[in-house]
Amino acid sequence: MKLISKSRKPSGRLVRFWFIFLGICISIPLFYTGNKLLKMTSTDEYCMSCHIHPTADQSWKMSTHYNNKSGVIVSCSECHLPPKGHGYFFAKAKHGIKDAYGFYFKDSTKIDWEKKKLLENAKGFVYEKSCLECHRNLFPVTLSVNGGNAHLLYTTSTDPLSCLNCHLNVGHYDRNAAAHAHDTSFGITVTSNEPPFAEPAKVESFESFTEMIPGTRVSFRMIALPAGSFNMGSSEDEPLRDPDEGPVRKVALPKFWIAETEVTWDEYMAFFRATSSQGRTEGQAVSTKKTDAISGATPPWGAPDQGWGRGSRPAITMSWYAANVYCQWLSQVTGKHYRLPTEAEWEYACRGETVTPYFFEGNPKKLSSEGFLKKLFGPDTSLIGSRVVYNVNSGSKTMEPSFVKANPFGLKNMAGNVAEFCSDFYSPDFYKADSTGINPAGPAKGQEHVIRGGSFKSDAKDLRSASRDCTKTKAWLVTDPQMPKSKWWYSDCIDVGFRVVLVIDSITGK
Amino acid sequence: MKNIDRRKFIGKAAMAGIGLAGAGAVITSCKRKTEVADLKLPPVLKGAPKGKKLRAGLIGSGDRGTGAAINFISSGPDLEIIALADVFQDKIDACRQRFASFNLPIPAENCFTGFDGYKKLMALPDVDIVLLATPPQFRPEHFLEAVKMNKHVFLEKPVAVDPVGIRSVITSAKKAEAIGLNVVTGTQRRHQEDYIATYIQVMNGAIGTITSAKAFWNQNHVWYREREPGWNDMEYMIRNWNNFCWLCGDHILDTHVHNIDVINWFMGRHPEKAIGYGGRARRVTGDQYDFFSVDFDYGNGVSSHSMCRQIDSCANGTGELIMGTEGYTNCQNTIWDLKGNVKWKFEYPKDENGNQMETILIPPYVQEHMHLVYAIRTGNYVNEAEQTAISTLTAIMGRTAAYTGRAVTWDEIFKSDMDLGPQTIEMGPVDMVFETPVPGTSVISNVKPLYKGQII
Repeated sequence: MKLISKSRKPSGRLVRFWFIFLGICISIPLFYTGNKLLKMTSTDEYCMSCHIHPTADQSWKMSTHYNNKSGVIVSCSECHLPPKGHGYFFAKAKHGIKDAYGFYFKDSTKIDWEKKKLLENAKGFVYEKSCLECHRNLFPVTLSVNGGNAHLLYTTSTDPLSCLNCHLNVGHYDRNAAAHAHDTSFGITVTSNEPPFAEPAKVESFESFTEMIPGTRVSFRMIALPAGSFNMGSSEDEPLRDPDEGPVRKVALPKFWIAETEVTWDEYMAFFRATSSQGRTEGQAVSTKKTDAISGATPPWGAPDQGWGRGSRPAITMSWYAANVYCQWLSQVTGKHYRLPTEAEWEYACRGETVTPYFFEGNPKKLSSEGFLKKLFGPDTSLIGSRVVYNVNSGSKTMEPSFVKANPFGLKNMAGNVAEFCSDFYSPDFYKADSTGINPAGPAKGQEHVIRGGSFKSDAKDLRSASRDCTKTKAWLVTDPQMPKSKWWYSDCIDVGFRVVLVIDSITGK
Repeated sequence: MKNIDRRKFIGKAAMAGIGLAGAGAVITSCKRKTEVADLKLPPVLKGAPKGKKLRAGLIGSGDRGTGAAINFISSGPDLEIIALADVFQDKIDACRQRFASFNLPIPAENCFTGFDGYKKLMALPDVDIVLLATPPQFRPEHFLEAVKMNKHVFLEKPVAVDPVGIRSVITSAKKAEAIGLNVVTGTQRRHQEDYIATYIQVMNGAIGTITSAKAFWNQNHVWYREREPGWNDMEYMIRNWNNFCWLCGDHILDTHVHNIDVINWFMGRHPEKAIGYGGRARRVTGDQYDFFSVDFDYGNGVSSHSMCRQIDSCANGTGELIMGTEGYTNCQNTIWDLKGNVKWKFEYPKDENGNQMETILIPPYVQEHMHLVYAIRTGNYVNEAEQTAISTLTAIMGRTAAYTGRAVTWDEIFKSDMDLGPQTIEMGPVDMVFETPVPGTSVISNVKPLYKGQII
């Protein structure tokens, strides 16, 4: 604009000419090389020259985006950058800078690649717009009934739903990935040849004991906790606390038993084998009444153990409802009264009479990996790493209980590994509302239930004994292709399990 | 935003084309053509255009099917029925005989009986179009096969009897859309010139903003068959399909869906919730109700009262009424102001003697086939399956509200796994419970998949 106003003078015209002429001279080669540079830095070879970490190359070649019957090869940048016109240049610059930094300043072997594969992380470098750029027809004639239902849900859902929710492993093959099929053989294989337990444990006195599930080889430890009172919640000066953890109040509890570990796959599979139902309508409402025959979970979709193995790893992906039916069933086969812990029982058990943020020594602020500097230098993990399975040491999956040391009460994985269901409804204000503090059982009404303890995905902040969270039923079922959604299995939650408690007054006559 | 973005590719241009064609054909005098084009109305045609010969197969050759087949061949030049499928031989024979009497023989080798007859028919490469006119229980399965076999489709209403079927139809509709297969449905009011003209009036503000509606299909009792010796359970039910919910969907679907569809059309949306009553007072066979009264809640205080009844000697009649802030309409041909003065009336044509007629010239049953052929021959794409599926699901929501006594929401019914009928369809005895639903009983309410195998 300035040039135009100047151009009234004759000399101005000349300036304008040279300006445009030189502009053209400079920009043609610039444009040409720039374009060439862009192309060159977007080839698969260029990507692979740095992305040499395990799996990237090989797993891509084994995936359906490379190894398919039509012979089409989908390049790195076709998924990991948005289509042109949808923030392509910005994303290219952003990832370019990040990758260059990572390449020169970080040790590739120390990066947790497994963690990057998790859904929430993958969303950061796989672009949904790019999926839809090629996959323009979401309803091909060959689409299955379940696929049709799922895509119908996707196109009509008001909740955030991404292609990756269901199609996480299409770009990089993952042997352990949950197969997208109805696993009707789930839990059918039985491996043990030893004679099964004939009787459940007999409990004569209030001591820790080993429970045995009759008809199986499965047993687990129940730890006796003394009656007592403790300060529940966190004080306002506790680092990284959330407001729903206060005010701190004194809570008194009678003595009870709690399981040493989270319910294992072995334990849960015993339940599944004994009660699984084929139909989806046969489940029954949670009730305290004794029932003759308990009808349990339907076969799950995919692999609920995520391919990490079962055994003594904690059982995951079962719904809160399923966990309750498990307790009913366990009570029936052992002749005792097992149930989920209340939130108060859980925190009492977790603290093991400690009053610090963790049951071991440590400042949440120093242990947390959140924040820029922490990401650069990493927190000191020498002590916490031997006590808790969390995002720093988990390799993004559950661990066996032997991986950690117990808390002062002798319980394992209270703080990490998987988060745990409690029986209470969740309310952020409950601590304010509950003034009596005698064996509280949470609000009378509610939507979601309390979950406690961090998981293998958690930051140190959420491992604190007072930290609270709740179930998120809708989000955890967002990709369930069934309608109505399963009440037995969560399709989109892989880091919550539970442990059982046994209360004294349920053993009648003692 | 997300949805708009995603659906960009699906037939926007095609719809606009149809809208324009419709505008041109319906009201050449209208000055606000662009707006009318936005209404996406079907064309009103005097006849299907000429073009390549189109051969159709009829699936379900009972009375309505035979009627649809005759409507089809009379809608334009070079249209043929070349194949038939039906569960029963006698239905095929009757239909063939009918066509033979028009001197339009249908070759015997192209006639297929049995439950899989439709598959054999659709495997015929010469068949371009299939007319699906069996009891609605079978429609979703037939529609899916038709799309697989690349056939254009005439889909009789209702399009399914349960939400599982509805979702199947919507999915198949999208598959058909993706590969350019045309689909016209049998909700013929949308093809009726007088309704279309009234709709344009209402959309141009003739009654102001819509505040409430009423839809009614009250009639005498309908046909039923009593069981004859030698009929097994399955044969009996299919011959008497109009009286079994798993086959028919009850009359709130079978007939009243026409009125419900008109209300959804004028409202521009489906209801969010239904609460209703119904009962069985005079029916002789089957397990269905013979009256329903349902309040469909369209949100923002707007409701439609839906009634349907099949009992003799009552105040009977069928139609719709929509109330607005500035007047009301019967949706078919007249608009009144709030004081009851006629503001506008559709002008029906005159007959050869110059007398004013009271109906449109071309029956809507034929008009819908003209539209299908027009779409195929001119490339102005049409696919009405989803809109009719939505209206059928509206009726299912009303039926479920009446059967259960509960308020039923759209989300709940859209996602329901209600799947009526036996698992396998074959001739012989059928192991099913035939209870007439009673509102408020535990038959329905305790477990979430509310209805399966319990109400039929």
